[in-house]
Amino acid sequence: MIRHTLRSLATLLFAALIGSIVVFVLVHMLGGDVVTVLLGREAAPKDVQFMRQKLGIDRPLVVQYLHWLRGVATGDLGTSYGMGYDIFHEIVRRMGPTLILTLGGLLISIPLSLVLGTYSAINAKKVRGGIVDVVAQVGISIPAFWAGLLLVLVFGVRLGWLPTGGYVPFSDDPLGSIRSMILPVMALSLGVTAVFTRYVRTAMIDVMNEDFIRSAMARGRTRRGAALVHGVRNASIPLVTVAALQFGQLIAGAVVIENVFVLPGIGRLIVTATLGREVIVVQSLALVIMLIVLVLNFLVDIAYGFLDPRIRDKEAANA
Amino acid sequence: MPETAPRGSATNAAAEVRRDSRWRRLRRLPITLYLGGLLVFLFVFVALLSFVWTPYPPNHLNLRNRLAGPGTPGFLLGTDRAGRDVVTELMLGARNSLYVSVVSTVVAMVLGSAIGLAIAGSHRVAQGPLTRLVDAGLALPGILIALVLAAKLGAGNTTATLAIIAWQVPVAARVTIGPARQVLALDFVEAAYGYGRRKPYVMVRHVLPNISPLLIVLGSVMFAAAILIEAALAFLGVGVQPPTSSWGRFLNETQSLLEAAPYLMFFPGLAIVLTALGFNLLGDGLRTVLDPQQARSGLA
Repeated sequence: MIRHTLRSLATLLFAALIGSIVVFVLVHMLGGDVVTVLLGREAAPKDVQFMRQKLGIDRPLVVQYLHWLRGVATGDLGTSYGMGYDIFHEIVRRMGPTLILTLGGLLISIPLSLVLGTYSAINAKKVRGGIVDVVAQVGISIPAFWAGLLLVLVFGVRLGWLPTGGYVPFSDDPLGSIRSMILPVMALSLGVTAVFTRYVRTAMIDVMNEDFIRSAMARGRTRRGAALVHGVRNASIPLVTVAALQFGQLIAGAVVIENVFVLPGIGRLIVTATLGREVIVVQSLALVIMLIVLVLNFLVDIAYGFLDPRIRDKEAANA
Repeated sequence: MPETAPRGSATNAAAEVRRDSRWRRLRRLPITLYLGGLLVFLFVFVALLSFVWTPYPPNHLNLRNRLAGPGTPGFLLGTDRAGRDVVTELMLGARNSLYVSVVSTVVAMVLGSAIGLAIAGSHRVAQGPLTRLVDAGLALPGILIALVLAAKLGAGNTTATLAIIAWQVPVAARVTIGPARQVLALDFVEAAYGYGRRKPYVMVRHVLPNISPLLIVLGSVMFAAAILIEAALAFLGVGVQPPTSSWGRFLNETQSLLEAAPYLMFFPGLAIVLTALGFNLLGDGLRTVLDPQQARSGLA
């Protein structure tokens, strides 16, 4: 177990290092000068030189990279040139809506997809099982932002039940806060549920062919009973891995959804910064979001070891 | 098949049986293949047609007919806020979607599978870390790369295409590694080495053809993803810029018209969904035909 944890931790650090280098290299190797964007093409050479010094981009790349990493670790990422906010504090401040959105999305889509996928797998050879699969296929093909717009149109504009956008902090008005998050969470979970459902279906169909299902049925369980008691538990192990891989997808969805519903989260911040060409803000935000995804992956990896005794046994055998 | 068998001469009967079995084989193909193929064909046809014919010239503003409803004479699906014909806009959007998805998918497939093959054929010690590297690339949310690129290079089609490539290369590489390693362990590969073939030759002539069904299926699914990502980036404003038409940007423009002209958002949205669904179904159908084992066990 310790070996497993250590190895996961090594993977996490390795991936974080690679990711930070990728982001840094992307920003610094590609064409386009930050200073030109900030000051315009007609800026005096003296001003350009001053700005380069102020931003620290006249130093060697390796020094810049290390300085940036230290900034990430100590919470000092500088200030935004366009808007004047402290980048680190702005990121922390904007974390709330994004976390509610993504966690809410997971909270809905995981149980829902378990039910739908299992149903579809048990009835795999019947029409009703196939219908669930086709619906899931359609769900995968619907862009989250269109789903969001449809929901706004129906529940916001037409029926007027829920707000069409904006965010109310939970501490200000708990009920209003929940109401403002219902549509965004629904829009985000649609696609995620569709993807999960197809994975559950596949995993369950596999598990249903296992010997222990046949044994359970020989002992008098019905097919459905065997699936619910033995199948779901076994199928959920590969699902944990899939869920981890979907975190990146979930964050991507959150970025888009926040912009549809005007939620003041990380996703809205990064798009605003991108459109304002604030390279430094985007670079740090990209790293922070990536770290969140990687840490989630790490936690899932650890949970995996707890869930599946075979992983522990294999390591004990190897050790 | 006793019902269709001997009637007339023997050659005639044989031909009939052959025709019959071909018909049967066609009918046995999964319906998803036909449905997906049809949707994809329609998409490509409309995109190509837009080069030679659109109801109105690109960006032609019908100022007297702004926000005309669907069915207005001369405007089958109506016009947008600036008076552009919706059908024309959708056709031009299909063109842009096709352009971005073809370029990005082809480049990502070639690069990704080459990397995958190289890793599968690399030394055993190097394989673990290299595979981890690809996994790290998979964990990177692609949209971040897109936004970083857009902040640096400015928004546009090139940015979107580059971002989709960066997003898909690890996917293609990861999917290639496993099957390529399986093929490398087979006897005929050993025989090829014994015959004196070098590794690059074996990779290209023996391994690649054997995993190509998988790559074809992957390509179809990647097309669907590319179309969705292009639309999302254009929607966020970091994709293609005016005056080029795009489904994603069209949708963004309809967002402020939800009260005045709610029907407008259906058209570009449906176009995106049907196209992505077409490629997804096509991939599903192709998997059933080309790779029955994978299809039965599902995950790919």
